Amino acid sequence: MAAKKEDKVMTLVDAVQLIRDGDIIAMQGMGTQMSPLALVREIIRSRKRDLTVVMVVGGIGLDWMIAAGCVRRVLAIIVNLDEFGMANAFRRAVEAGEIEMEEYTEHQLLSRLSAGSKGLPFLVTRSGLGTDLINIHPETTRIIECPFTGQKVIACRALEPDVAILHAHRADCYGNVQFFPKPIWTDVDVFPRAAKKVIVTVEEIVENEEIRRTPIHTGIPYFKVDAVVEVPYGAHPCSLYPNYSFDRVLFQEYATTSKTAEGTQQFLDRYIFGPASHAEYLQRVGGAEALLRIRKWS
Amino acid sequence: MTHCAEDYTIDELMVVTLARQFTSDDIILNGTVSFIPVAAILLARETHAPGLTWVAGAVGVDAQPGYLMGNTLDPTMWKNCVMYLPQWEDMWSYVHRGTLETFCIRGAQIDKYGNVNNTVIGDYYHPKVRLPGSAGMGDMGSLDKRIFIWSTTHNRRTFVERVDFLGCVGYLDGGDSRERLGLKNGPQLVITDLGVMDFEPESKRMRLRSVHRGVTVEHVREQTGFELVIPDEVPETPPPTEREIHLLRDVIDPKGMRKLEFRGAGKSVK
Repeated sequence: MAAKKEDKVMTLVDAVQLIRDGDIIAMQGMGTQMSPLALVREIIRSRKRDLTVVMVVGGIGLDWMIAAGCVRRVLAIIVNLDEFGMANAFRRAVEAGEIEMEEYTEHQLLSRLSAGSKGLPFLVTRSGLGTDLINIHPETTRIIECPFTGQKVIACRALEPDVAILHAHRADCYGNVQFFPKPIWTDVDVFPRAAKKVIVTVEEIVENEEIRRTPIHTGIPYFKVDAVVEVPYGAHPCSLYPNYSFDRVLFQEYATTSKTAEGTQQFLDRYIFGPASHAEYLQRVGGAEALLRIRKWS
Repeated sequence: MTHCAEDYTIDELMVVTLARQFTSDDIILNGTVSFIPVAAILLARETHAPGLTWVAGAVGVDAQPGYLMGNTLDPTMWKNCVMYLPQWEDMWSYVHRGTLETFCIRGAQIDKYGNVNNTVIGDYYHPKVRLPGSAGMGDMGSLDKRIFIWSTTHNRRTFVERVDFLGCVGYLDGGDSRERLGLKNGPQLVITDLGVMDFEPESKRMRLRSVHRGVTVEHVREQTGFELVIPDEVPETPPPTEREIHLLRDVIDPKGMRKLEFRGAGKSVK
């Protein structure tokens, strides 16, 4: 499933057409860091349904998608908003039985994705031995014996997400994606390698020659990327280090209003369904003043 | 000459007590919402353990951010590091082999054998309360780490006879049950807002080691949902020094990020 060396620049609206209802989406991001949230807002506006979302650390974007009714199942090791507290829509939906949570240890989940990325049936780990985390998904993690030593290890079944979505610093029109610093987190390295399709939003699209001058920063090559969308501040309200910080003001507002289901819906109406474009969204969250604040990391 | 501080708060005592457990031989990585451990790491490095290696947010090797800024997984914490540790190949190799041997965890439930739960209250599939999740402690409990547990809510809801969901392996059912599973090390110490506990060497039951200033043994007993092992003599937790308090308040955590860990704990920080 190699992608060609061709112009893949498109709009958010076109990019989400690559996602079908029922897909498994591997999504970049942590509680407050580096997540393709402009794309997530478009997924919500296009009313995708029955998605399975795979994240190491689920955060605000996942919580919005759950509140908007896009999600059926979550695979993650934790879902929260860092120091802003609980992901309330996630908690309510799991407690009400509206979504399933498949919790893994980090190394189990990454082993599943890495096996997928290599076309192997499974990889093994010792992570989680003795915990209840092995017992809750017998179809994907199971204790086996090493054929050489008899040691007990956990087999983690391959996982190949349908689409990986991520936000990065820059790319060229072919989808050579660059990071500053280059990829160190697994959601921009194991995730896209394991996925069948990859959608990348970037702060800036640059010329191919610029990529060739700085190949050390390229984390994903064009043959693995299916769509490129230029969205400055596309991770907002999460951070994109070192460009801008997470937006404390909006996080705090969401942490407070999401304590009720009604408050959560009002938040979605105001910030996701309301603005007609990403530019309008940026105005609504405070415009130039807010963007200056996050660029100063204050 | 070392002067003991008179004026200190419970969050400061917890940080200082944890810091004193670390040595120059330790290589420690931190997880999410871990202000007390990160403050303790920075304090240990500034005082008795200058050789301690900290891997900030599991990425920034030997980072020197100066002071606690945002959350503990944020890239701002990587400042002045010598390397960004790639997670999949590098970090997980060092964790599995035991090069990175020390980890600090917290959780919603902690039982008498140091097993920890941060997944659900009640049944997994039909939870009464869905909690955030195990995160890194699900890994670390099974990967031979020396584990330090901290809790800002020492009460019967947190300290329970048996965890509802075993998300991080402590000493399992006590005795040699952890060892029989082939797992090394395990929980070393539990530092709470009331006192400090360790584990009895044979039974692996949690044992009271010291109580904080103004806290009685009886109070700790009442606030613990299982029978703690209580020695005949339980001393007061050694107080911080004036220097430790100065470093913590003025240099390491001037914004008071550590106090965020007490938010929602049903009590205010003294």
